[in-house]
Amino acid sequence: MKALRHPALHWLLGIGLGAVFVYASIDKIEQPREFARIVYHYRLIGPSASLGFVPANAFSVALPWIEALTGLLLIVGVWRREAALTAGLLLVMFLVAVAWALAHGIDVENCGCFSVSGEGRSAGLKLILQDLGLLAVATVVAFVSPRAREALLETAPAPAPQG
Amino acid sequence: MSLRPWRVAAIVVAGTVLGLAWNAFGGRGIALSGNAYIKPGEDVVEIDAGEAKKRLDKGALFLDARPVAFYEMGHIPGALPLPEDDFDRAFAGLEPRLRNTLDIVVYCSGYGCEASHIVARQLREKGVHAAILHEGWPAWTDAGYPTKEGKQP
Repeated sequence: MKALRHPALHWLLGIGLGAVFVYASIDKIEQPREFARIVYHYRLIGPSASLGFVPANAFSVALPWIEALTGLLLIVGVWRREAALTAGLLLVMFLVAVAWALAHGIDVENCGCFSVSGEGRSAGLKLILQDLGLLAVATVVAFVSPRAREALLETAPAPAPQG
Repeated sequence: MSLRPWRVAAIVVAGTVLGLAWNAFGGRGIALSGNAYIKPGEDVVEIDAGEAKKRLDKGALFLDARPVAFYEMGHIPGALPLPEDDFDRAFAGLEPRLRNTLDIVVYCSGYGCEASHIVARQLREKGVHAAILHEGWPAWTDAGYPTKEGKQP
């Protein structure tokens, strides 16, 4: 457990997780129409007769920027714990969406994770495992407090008392 | 350094504001109340046989706008009859299914037939969006794609 509190580990995990989130946002920001179609496929927030198109479309244009902002904060290390918690909440949301699609037999051919083109990955068990891995990283960065620099020094042998 | 939940909310709100602003002013935004399947400024979407086949394989719902007699002589496998000349009655029977289907393709006899456009327009008036198979049935058979005879979809 001691290793989990090492500041360098948090720094590395933050950069890694942040890079994944920034990378995931690029294609969606560039092609909002294609990403919206993928969101439609999940049939979680419409479009439907009762909801119309607005929730799914608004989600499609907002989500990539939340991902990008979260990723950037993780990379530069500003608000790192809160950004990691945001990333964790997003991952929980993705897991729920994929599980929902699988449970309802909805064939989400392209999960919309990293790419919005036809060659994307499908929503399946492998994707769930990968999301759980990222979620573990996010949980460590968010909830394990890294030792402060001073605390690191304290673990070193105490200097001989003076005088 | 403790976790401050308000910062999580701030990240989500800031991301949402950025996203909506980029969508409004970034130059390639989408209409928030529109169907992302339909391109801007385009009243209807026409697709060719190859695209139609792809959509069929992905589970799109096909509607046959021709008279039922033509449907029984041969139709696209899985297509449901929604004849233009009996639209209201046929639509009533299909309505729940149509409202739960995102990808709908209408076709008719092709080469200038209007039935698919009329059906698509009537569907649109009811809030159901459908693409049109350009040149309809002949385009499908000319491409050598499978067909089916009889009353069953």
